[in-house]
Amino acid sequence: MSEPLLEVEDLRTQFFTEDGVVRAVDGISFTVNEGEIVGLVGESGAGKSVAASSIMRLVEQPGEIVGGEIRFKGETIFGLEDVERDGDGPPEKVPRDDMLSNAEVRERIRGREIAIIFQDPMESLNPVFTVGGQLREFIEINRDLPENEARDLAVHMLREVGIPEAEERYDDYPHQFSGGMRQRVLIAMALACEPSLIIADEPTTALDVTVEGQILDLVDDLQGKYDTSFIWVTHDMGVVAEICDRVNVMYLGEIVEQADVDSLFHDTQHPYTKALLNSIPRPDQSVGELNPIAGVMPEAINPPSGCRFHTRCPEAREVCTRTHPGCREVGDGDGPHRAACLKHEGVFNAGYVESESIENKTTGGFDVGLTEEGEADD
Amino acid sequence: MTEAVDAETADEELATNGHPEDPDFGETLLSVDGLTKYFQNESGFLSWLKIRPDGDGAPIEADRDWVKAVDDVNFEIKKGETLGLVGESGCGKSTLARTVLHLLDPTDGEIYYKGRNLESLSSEELRRERRDMQMIFQDPQSSLDPRMKVGPIVEEPMKAHGMLDDERREDRARELLEKVGLDPQHYNRYPHAFSGGQRQRVNLARALSVNPDFIVCDEPTSALDASIQAQVLNTMSRLQEEFGLTYLFISHDLSVIRHISDRVAVMYLGQLVELAETEELYENSQHPYTKALLGSIPVPDPRASGSRGQLEGDVPSPIDPPSGCRFRTRCPELIAPENYDLTEAEWHNVRAFMRSVDRHDFDFDGEADLRREFFGNAEPTGEGGRIVDRAIDHLLDDEWEDAAELLLESFAEQSICALEKPAYEVDAENGDGRHYAGCHLHQDRDVVH
Repeated sequence: MSEPLLEVEDLRTQFFTEDGVVRAVDGISFTVNEGEIVGLVGESGAGKSVAASSIMRLVEQPGEIVGGEIRFKGETIFGLEDVERDGDGPPEKVPRDDMLSNAEVRERIRGREIAIIFQDPMESLNPVFTVGGQLREFIEINRDLPENEARDLAVHMLREVGIPEAEERYDDYPHQFSGGMRQRVLIAMALACEPSLIIADEPTTALDVTVEGQILDLVDDLQGKYDTSFIWVTHDMGVVAEICDRVNVMYLGEIVEQADVDSLFHDTQHPYTKALLNSIPRPDQSVGELNPIAGVMPEAINPPSGCRFHTRCPEAREVCTRTHPGCREVGDGDGPHRAACLKHEGVFNAGYVESESIENKTTGGFDVGLTEEGEADD
Repeated sequence: MTEAVDAETADEELATNGHPEDPDFGETLLSVDGLTKYFQNESGFLSWLKIRPDGDGAPIEADRDWVKAVDDVNFEIKKGETLGLVGESGCGKSTLARTVLHLLDPTDGEIYYKGRNLESLSSEELRRERRDMQMIFQDPQSSLDPRMKVGPIVEEPMKAHGMLDDERREDRARELLEKVGLDPQHYNRYPHAFSGGQRQRVNLARALSVNPDFIVCDEPTSALDASIQAQVLNTMSRLQEEFGLTYLFISHDLSVIRHISDRVAVMYLGQLVELAETEELYENSQHPYTKALLGSIPVPDPRASGSRGQLEGDVPSPIDPPSGCRFRTRCPELIAPENYDLTEAEWHNVRAFMRSVDRHDFDFDGEADLRREFFGNAEPTGEGGRIVDRAIDHLLDDEWEDAAELLLESFAEQSICALEKPAYEVDAENGDGRHYAGCHLHQDRDVVH
């Protein structure tokens, strides 16, 4: 198997706030191979966007990447090493020699090798410059082309992403484009430098369903044509099923399940993934009652002990409150399938089977206990 | 014991907003007839001044554009049911919701609530009527005053309508917080202490506080995560059963609509295009727009065979919507005009050619290339063919606009889809409800209003 394009290992990103340290991304590892669309899926607050910005080294104060390694095409985007301090105390972490400097990341990686598409196209485009002008400038800077060539390429890219009358619309301002059109412009911008990897952070979430369909089609086509890899950040399991090859499911800063898309949906190994799939209404069939996941996601500032999902997990047992499961290979079939759940006793050997099931206070939603109390009052 | 008595008087007081002619379950609670709402387009200073140098009379005239947000919409809602209203952003669903509640004055048309025409009510009567009709908004954050505790927030509508005294209002607020799945102890907390899902529950409690019969829910779960959305949807269903509520549930999410609704109305560019019972609409949809919408939803199953991106182009402007069927400019099944003798394949090619020229989304290399690209398998002959030839001549002279105009005038504008507004009733395959479809493909069926 060929070398992965991007390797993320044990990545940790934390935010140092007044209230304490928020462990937004807490030790995630995953890879992206060439020509692959890898999903990063989870609910809001799971840490998926922070993970995406970490790869680009775009985390801003008070956030900081505090550990782990990011390798891209043999180069180290991020990596630390231990240096013994004089006297006592733990060793200090300092950037390794081979880690790219800020300037190198800015000039060589961002835009040229890894591009990013954000959710809100209006915020990513400057409202006081024309769409074409912004695209041309981006190409000029990143590909060292003279202005007229950059302009031709810009028009070509606009046409490529399905903007009608690209030549005329080149001089339009962003507000003259519809939401779907603006998102197409951003895709054109991302593709213009023919990067190896595009990070798409919820790019279709703000769009209508028919427009979303058009964009997904477009990405499919262009991906085949340019052989670009994608990291697709989303909360929508439907979109994941449509376009991803492999999927990483995140919960509270950690990856809890990692598998190819078919096994993730049809051979689900983690209770969170299962619960998430059960909680969404289906467009293609009528279901009676939905099965919501009990409670809400806890704060990343003070995550639950042991398995972080144990406070809401229908299959939680006593051992889950104490033992923290890493993400390990649990699959029996073909292809790697990793999950972080102690119920896979054969893999984790944590004594899950003998452990007692815990009475999840929140089982069935936080209304259950209360309603009974209310009845007693009557 | 005293509590029980209090509860009884409270119940009486709560019930006083009931009409003598309250409909039974299954009877019509609300009916909307020809509802229309136009807004003045006020974008731009003096944009209403039109300069017509070559016209008769004054060269400058005042001519305001009207945004036709809702245009001639008819439906009714039965007591105890949930009517889902689905459509893409900008189709007018939120305007429709606000107009139904008379939060916006309709431009035309009537709204009957429990048999009374809301138009005929004085503003004071309307205010009292609103106690019976509540609304829940999309953004749970911005619809709660951050400086008020949730208890008083829930009590506010009761205060406004002069219901109960302070003490009993507080009791009721606590009871309602409990009903919607919050801890009554949270009475003294501020909205910021709650998560999005919990805030939406506070909104629910507030809407329920005046004991309404009818609640308009405008995208109530769109801002919530999947797992939280499921909790809130389940709570809403439970409350509907418990209090006999009637919902008008607005969403862009077809999965949510399918889950929560008894009947579903599909809206496009200010008009209803299809209305049927939920199962019927999803399993036997008759309008090409509904079909395209359903086909576009990403199904959360990688093994499902998806066919997405079925619609070309963008929604036209509601200032100058297409005549006849508003969907016709994008409809994959636009009907061939009768005055030309075109085969199915020829019409298919002409339609694709016409739209591509109109959108100017292709380049070509000479006439042969153009003909091969668009008319490879079937080239129209006769009058239709001559029009296509003239359009191609325009294109060869780089006159795109002339070509587009010629094609649209000769074909699109001659289609029955452009000439008449479609409104038909088709046979339902699932259930026994009516199935309305605004599409001329059903022109052999009964025409409804």
